[in-house]
Amino acid sequence: MTALRVSGVALAGLLLSSVVAFAGPKVVNGPGADPQCFKPWTEKTKYLQWDKKPGPYRIAVVNGFVGNTWRIQMIKTAKAYSEQPGVKENIKDFKVVSTGTDVAAQLGAIEDFINQGYDAIITLAVSPEGFDRVIRLADKNNVVIVPFDNILDTDKVMQVNEDQKEMGRMSAKWLLDKMGKKEGKVLEVRGLPGNSVDRDRHLGFREVMEAPGNKFQIVEVVGNWDDGTAQKATADAIAVHGHFDGVFTQGGSTGSVRAMMDAKHPFVPMAGEGENGYRKLIAQHTKDGLQGLSYGQSAGLVAIATKAAISALQGNPMPQLISIPIPVATSDTLKDGVNYWSNLTDNFFTPNDFPPCGVTITATEIMAKDEKNTQ
Amino acid sequence: MSDQVLPADAAPAAPRSGRRRGGDWLLVLRQNGSLLFAIALFALLYLGYHLAHPRGFTTQVLVQNANEAFTLAMVAMAQTIPVLLGGLDLSVGAVMTMVNCIASHLVIGSPGQIALGILACLASGALAGFVNGCVVVYGRIPPIIATLATAAIAIGVALLLRPTPGGKLDEDLNWAMTNSVADFAETFGLADGGKAPWLAPVAWLPVPVVLLVLVVVLVWLPFRRTVTGRTIYAIGSSESAAYMSGLPLNRAKIAAFTLAGFFAGVGGLFLAIQTSSGNADLPQAGAYTLNSIASVVIGGTSLVGGSGGPVGSIFGTLVLRVISFGFRVFDIPPLLQPLFEGLVLLAAVSLGAARALRVRNTLDLFR
Repeated sequence: MTALRVSGVALAGLLLSSVVAFAGPKVVNGPGADPQCFKPWTEKTKYLQWDKKPGPYRIAVVNGFVGNTWRIQMIKTAKAYSEQPGVKENIKDFKVVSTGTDVAAQLGAIEDFINQGYDAIITLAVSPEGFDRVIRLADKNNVVIVPFDNILDTDKVMQVNEDQKEMGRMSAKWLLDKMGKKEGKVLEVRGLPGNSVDRDRHLGFREVMEAPGNKFQIVEVVGNWDDGTAQKATADAIAVHGHFDGVFTQGGSTGSVRAMMDAKHPFVPMAGEGENGYRKLIAQHTKDGLQGLSYGQSAGLVAIATKAAISALQGNPMPQLISIPIPVATSDTLKDGVNYWSNLTDNFFTPNDFPPCGVTITATEIMAKDEKNTQ
Repeated sequence: MSDQVLPADAAPAAPRSGRRRGGDWLLVLRQNGSLLFAIALFALLYLGYHLAHPRGFTTQVLVQNANEAFTLAMVAMAQTIPVLLGGLDLSVGAVMTMVNCIASHLVIGSPGQIALGILACLASGALAGFVNGCVVVYGRIPPIIATLATAAIAIGVALLLRPTPGGKLDEDLNWAMTNSVADFAETFGLADGGKAPWLAPVAWLPVPVVLLVLVVVLVWLPFRRTVTGRTIYAIGSSESAAYMSGLPLNRAKIAAFTLAGFFAGVGGLFLAIQTSSGNADLPQAGAYTLNSIASVVIGGTSLVGGSGGPVGSIFGTLVLRVISFGFRVFDIPPLLQPLFEGLVLLAAVSLGAARALRVRNTLDLFR
């Protein structure tokens, strides 16, 4: 047994030494490059710096699930961004693959791109865990891995996301402001159960709504971020409760508004996602008293992740966890052709502008990137 | 493959002439046509992939490919056994996921604890399969319905164990199992740290490949030679004939599902080692079940049962995987990739089934 333990210790030592031998980013002090755009998540977020590599770079996007509008738009946005002037010059090779909801396939694809000598890999992780091996390989080969949207539970890679809790807080503040009272009945339409995004938006919303001094009765239903489900859940809630003073819907927002209109529910302050259909309805009915706020988990995050990867490859210090400003529009700021499009489908995700990052991808640019486009 | 149903001593004992042996060889070739087709298709696609890959024909690439294919290959092998009976097992992905979550709790600690943990994982996979078999045999419920229900139970257990993804597995094990044989030996200080001359011929092989061969040689091939193993083929060919021949039907069915559970368990264990975590991922479980059926079909196992085998399914998996490998080295538009994958699969399955069009008598298919 002692011998076993000794060999175990020796083994652990061997492994440790090999871990130390790996390259990878250095932990450095901030501030990083372009702090307006690459904002650290908190003050405590550490900064990472990779060795400078000469461009242009080979970049791969390894998507997981494909098959909803958001993901398809994300892929089109990635292509569109990689071809914009100022970006194109930095990219030698830009490849996008989708691996489905299979973590082994996603890990395999990432490792394959590392083997092929790609410089950066941008990914929407299928699972928040399980990437230790590819992170180790990436560090060994000086490859920058950038998870965004669905990020990893690790602080060893640079990640890009929007603050989901803040979206909840922001929605609650908007409702409080527009309702102008501290008590009443509020409907909360939640997203996909068990998902961290759903959890965080909910927590942020409750944090503000349930602050001391507020006495709201919050009715919670599940809308799965889906128009149909959200519409049914909202209709049911209205049927049972009769009247709400405000509505917060995490997604499937178009459905929530439709349900209220169908039930002849008077327009009350609403906060919801960034679907084009939702924004169209707000714009149409602002004069009837619909006051809406629309935030967005943008499919354009892929562009910021790409920009961050290029910046890291150029040797700039980068925050380990980058918080992207949340694109917001309200009934006061909505403008056709700018932040919503009356001629595009309802399920187009509108927010694609990140002024602090100098990233603007217009709707027409995204929609023009059809599937034929590969270069 | 129906000749495997016969006990070995039932074969004619007459001395064989050279001509007869030549006939046997042709027969074997004909019976394994689909398997050979899957192997050839895989070899062709894989060769193309390596040629286009900047680091083609290196251990690095082999290791990556093997890691990616292993779990699905095991789940596909698991699926094959119930399919040989003429049934479908919708729980293979779920059992894989359940064992994945169990492993994320147990496969860590001292070498003894790790070994016990691994045994517990394999045993729970086999147990889940055994339960499937009992429900099918004693509950008299068709496999497709029975396993639909047990799949939900397995996912339930997985969610109970891992409500959110996480856990930790032994790091050395993770590194050793997902690399080449040389790295394996180095990690565990075997064979002079992987540099022993006798190891050299196999040092470049990825560990998952070795593992796959071991499972086939040590578990499947011996099992197929037993009466129980041959009975599985007999049931798939004709259950009533198997019954009339006095074969142990219930035993074979339970054994088939148990073995399927065991194979799925090996897959789940490997996925846990590979990802160093457990995840009760429902969509992933579904994807594995579906892909396992696709692998079985490409691998040449008949969905009505009685012919084919797990080795074919391994190559079926490899064909399935190599198609998506291609997307990484060839320029195929991202949103056209699923369509392209579907077309290649359809072509593979159709070509594999093409021999059904050529036979004069459908009985020939089983000869």
